[in-house]
Formats: sequence, C-alpha cells, structure tokens
Amino acid sequence: MTETATTAVEQAADRILAAYASGTPCDPVRDLVATPDDAYAVQERLTTAWLVGGRRLVGRKIGLTSPAVQRQLGVDTPDFGMLFADMAVPDGAEIPAGAVMQARAEAEVALVLEHDLTHERHTVADVIRATAFALPAIEVVGSRIRDWDITLADTVADNASCGMYALGSRPVRLTDVDLRMCGMVLERRGEQLSTGTGAACLGHPLNAALWLADTLVRVGRPLRAGDTVLTGALGPMAAVAPGDVLEARIDGLGDVRVAFQKESAKEDAS
Amino acid sequence: MTDVRGLAARLDEARRDGRPIGMLSASEPRLDVSAAYDVQRAGIELRRRSGERFAGVKMGFTSRAKMVQMGVDDVIWGQLTDRMLIESTAEVSGLIHPRVEPEIVFLVGRDVTRAADVDTAVAGVAVGYEILDSRYDGFKFTLADVIADNASASGFGVGAWRDPRDVAGLANVGMILEIDGRVVQTGSSAAILGDPMRALRAAARLATDAGIVLRAGDIVLAGAATAAVPLPKDAHVRVTGAGLGSVEVTTR
Repeated sequence: MTETATTAVEQAADRILAAYASGTPCDPVRDLVATPDDAYAVQERLTTAWLVGGRRLVGRKIGLTSPAVQRQLGVDTPDFGMLFADMAVPDGAEIPAGAVMQARAEAEVALVLEHDLTHERHTVADVIRATAFALPAIEVVGSRIRDWDITLADTVADNASCGMYALGSRPVRLTDVDLRMCGMVLERRGEQLSTGTGAACLGHPLNAALWLADTLVRVGRPLRAGDTVLTGALGPMAAVAPGDVLEARIDGLGDVRVAFQKESAKEDAS
Repeated sequence: MTDVRGLAARLDEARRDGRPIGMLSASEPRLDVSAAYDVQRAGIELRRRSGERFAGVKMGFTSRAKMVQMGVDDVIWGQLTDRMLIESTAEVSGLIHPRVEPEIVFLVGRDVTRAADVDTAVAGVAVGYEILDSRYDGFKFTLADVIADNASASGFGVGAWRDPRDVAGLANVGMILEIDGRVVQTGSSAAILGDPMRALRAAARLATDAGIVLRAGDIVLAGAATAAVPLPKDAHVRVTGAGLGSVEVTTR
C-alpha cells in the first residue's frame, strides 16, 4: 500500500517537473493523487528537489482564499505553495516570455515577517507582532496543468499554481493601513481587469496569514523571520497576454506594476 | 408609433401590484433606446401625478462586467423620487424580486446648469445602497426594456454625508455589503467606471441632454461597487465604504 502510494506521489511529481522542463503543460495529476495530504506530498517532493538544486525559499503564497474560488473547486479551506527567490521581480520588471505557463494575474497584500511563527497555534496578535510591514503585490499565477483543468489535488501538487510575483517597494506598517477595507484595482493600460477589497481574502488578509502560520507548523516548515507571505487575491484573477503591462493599486498600500515580455527571442530564432 | 403611455402604465401597474410582466421588447420590436427613455419619462410622470417628487438620478451599467454582459458601451440612467428614499426600514414583501447593491452617492449642492460644473457642485458624498426590482419576469431584459423600467430602480438609502473636501479620494474605496452580519459582497468603488466621479459627470451630461437640471438637494446614485445580491425579508443589511462610514437597513 505505502509503496504504491509513494510511487504515485513520485509519478505525479515527475509529471509536473517534466512540464516545467519542457515548458509544455501536462495532464492533471488527480489520477495519481486524490487526497490533499498526497497532493502536499507531491508539492514537498518538488520543494525538496528545488532546494537541492539551489533555489532559496523566501516565503509562501496562500491560494483559494475567496469564497467564489473555493466554491468553484468544491473546497472550504485555502491552500499554500512555496515562494523561491527567483520567482520575485521588483516593481515594474518584465517577466520573460515562457517563464510562467498559462499566466494569470491577481493583486494581493504581501506581508514580510520579522519574527518566526513557530507555535502550534497562533493568534492574530502573534501574526501582527511578527509582521514587519506590508507591500502591494501582483502574483502571476500559472499552471503546469493543461488548460488550468485543476481540482484541489492538482493545484496543491503543482505548488498552488505559483508562478512569479512582483512586489511594491514602499513598506507600510499594519498600523497605517486598513487591510480589510482597502480597495483594489488591477488595470492594463487603464483598462480595468479586476476590482476588490481586502475582505475578499478570507475576510481579512491577516486571517489567511494566521491559517498559513498554523498549517506550516503542522507540516514542519514554519514561517521564519524574513519570509514573504502572499496572502491571497483581493479580487478575481485576470488573464494576461505577452506584451501586457499590469498595474495594481491597493488603497493605503500603494501600487505595483509588472510587465510581460512580448515574445521569446529564442522562439523567434528557431 | 410606440404607445409610450400605455407601456409606462403596464410597468407602473406591475410595480404597484408586485407582479412581473413579460419584456416590452417582445411585443414592441420598435422599442429603441430613445423610445425607452420616453417610456421611462412617462412612468415618472405617472408617479409625479400621484404626488411623488423628483429626487435625483441613478446610474446603471457603470461596471465593465455589466456593460460586457449587456453588450453596451455607455451607462444608462433612471430617475429617483422622494418616495424611493428609505430611512431605516425597507418594505420588501411587496416587491417582485428585490436585489441590493452597494453604491457611492453624491449630494448636489447647487443647481447644475452645465454638465461641466458638476464636480464643483458636490456638497456631500456618502455610501449608500440601492434596492433594484426589475418589473420583468426573471429579472431578464434587453437594454431598451431596462431603460423603460427606470433602470430597475426601486429604493435607495444613504449614509451620513461627508464633505467632499474631507474625502481623500473616491477612485478606490473598499466596499463591503453585509447581510445579517455576514459579508456577501466585497469590491472597490473603482468598479464604478474606474472612478465614481466619472459616473457623476455622466449623470450630469445625460440629465442636461434630457433637459433636466440637477438642483441643490438632488441625489446621484453613481453606481454599484459589486454585483447585486437577492434581498431577503427580515434581514439586516449594511454597506460600508472605507473612510465613508456605513449605512444600514432592516427589511420586512
């Protein structure tokens, strides 16, 4: 039994890694892993492989934080994925073509921690004390699964559909922003793609961070000082295309931009 | 010729009886946008004759999503009367299929004789809510139908007025709609044409074009920050806007 399960987890991880390597999306992995635990085991295999390969873990993203998305996937909890240093780009930077498969974008509140969160159970006060500051962020999500044909197991196994992310550069202390009531607008050349507010993220972005802190202690990779937490979308996800430049504005938190390279020079040459 | 007064009377009767009717466009293929506004005006005239007074205008289809859904590229508008204003209790049991949505509301401080003057004519801004109640079966309509039906207007409520000079900006106000203490919609005022000020200017333009002068004390409902949700009976509804406070209503 255990041997079969391990094999299935390995197969699922290999399928996703092959998609990364080839740049071509793969079939869903739900034929191999059905439960959230197995799906996180797949994600952990990816994480281990990437850490061994030299990537630096710099934080986590929280996904499935809106009731609409949870309903769509038939779940009632968020999920999380790993953020590595090479996924982060500064405000306004361009994401190379092909760097994120089937890219979509959403605007989020990022929290940057100055203390570890290692208790078995945290309070919101712990999370507030551990937070150095907040930043506006655009998460560029992507899916290694063909056509985003995902269940909970598929997205969890696929590092919570993590792609890359752009961080704003003016830190704001939690005392200076109302993260529940902050309006959010995501635009492309002045065209509105998505609007929302902080409360769309599990009622409050700190609620999402609290869930993450407890969950990560349970799985043995607690949040550490210096970690960045992308707390979850404040509004609906937007499709993006090569050449797009997106801007997100979060009231009280500032703004942040990200660009998408027009087309791959390599593809042109071939 | 379109029987403007006859169509207005049918809609008005549906409203008073709380019984929906089929779309006017089904039997009136010539009902275009212009004729639809004539029907709307005739409907307001009926209400005026029963003692209601003009109280302002409401903007509709101010969100990109709604415009795409309806296949239109301009806003629509409807007229408000004093009897639509709700204080703390909304009677919804006589309505057909009421919905509620969070709004940004403007108070006109002096007569707006030229549309371009509207920015400086604002005396107050507030959060508000609008109760919509299409007089059509299943809340389904064409563009002309909904215009004739006074943009589904039914009722509205307004929170405490703020001096516009004290409000940092209206372009990205976080807004929450709660029913019985639970958050049912979240959004930003950015959904209202990117900035509710644009909806206000559109209201001034459309009103002026129609020969209506917005006067001191008139109200402009700029549009919804989120999708509308069904409004049940015996419910407590609250709309909150960041920096603007909140407005509450109990339904029965």
